Amino acid sequence: MAHLLREKGFNTFVIVGGLAAWRKAGEPVEKVPENDLVKLPTFN
Amino acid sequence: MNLFSLMAHHGYALIFGLLLAEAMGLPFPAAIALVAAGAAVAAHALAGPYVLLAALLALLLGDSAQFWLGRYMGWALLGFLCRVSINPETCILRSAESFYKRGKITLVVAKFIPGVNTMAAPLAGSMKMRFSQFLRLDLAGALLYSLTYLVVGYLSRDFLAAILRGFHAVGRTMEAVIIASLLVYGIYRVVQYRKNKTYSVVPRVQVEELARRLASEDASRVQIVDVRSHGYYDSGSARIRNSIRIEPNNLEEEIKHLPKDKDIYLYCT
Repeated sequence: MAHLLREKGFNTFVIVGGLAAWRKAGEPVEKVPENDLVKLPTFN
Repeated sequence: MNLFSLMAHHGYALIFGLLLAEAMGLPFPAAIALVAAGAAVAAHALAGPYVLLAALLALLLGDSAQFWLGRYMGWALLGFLCRVSINPETCILRSAESFYKRGKITLVVAKFIPGVNTMAAPLAGSMKMRFSQFLRLDLAGALLYSLTYLVVGYLSRDFLAAILRGFHAVGRTMEAVIIASLLVYGIYRVVQYRKNKTYSVVPRVQVEELARRLASEDASRVQIVDVRSHGYYDSGSARIRNSIRIEPNNLEEEIKHLPKDKDIYLYCT
């Protein structure tokens, strides 16, 4: 995806290790807002 | 020793083991084993009811384990299973929607559909299906799957024996075909590797480096973007502070809102 964005003119970088590395380094995180959550179907 | 003689000697254990492995998501040739077992039943080397019992027990045991793993591990397990798919980012949502649209009957036919067979039981668990309901549908699916292949093997015993004799006769040709297939696969992997190498030109930054930049006066030129799909299914999920989300399934539309005057830092799980 970073490559695709770069092709479209964005100056992209990839964070090594992603969210797991961010957390491990003790950097701040926040709760995903309710209205951003993807609602999945359930059977019951 | 060919598959038929192996089946005649260790049939019940083999059927149980292979079907349990398949139900747990491992790529084992369970359908072929069932066909061979059907042929062994036709040759009176195995007893049909016991073969069926071994198959049903293995499938129900494996599927139930996947169901409960799906229930308690949720999207983490599905994300893990999806990593081996062609498009991991869209795999979970697409499978879930497909499962929901087709309804509960999916569980009955899932074992015949590659890909869906691995995802069906954990999806049912994740999607809060009642276990009693899951067991009924899964039993129906396991019965249909086992009986279909056993009957195919039973009815085509002579035909399968002829094919095996043919395989022995054209052994060298088969070797050549296998070597050619491996060669084609090797070339495919090299092409994929070179393609991915092209993608690796995107700069990668360590967390510490980005954190330093965020703490500097230059922070206003940074935009952190979350490109996970499956991180957004469970309430209580966390993301990097002040990051925004891009839905990978809708990239063309989403990038309209991305600032071009900032450096974009992407991350996933």
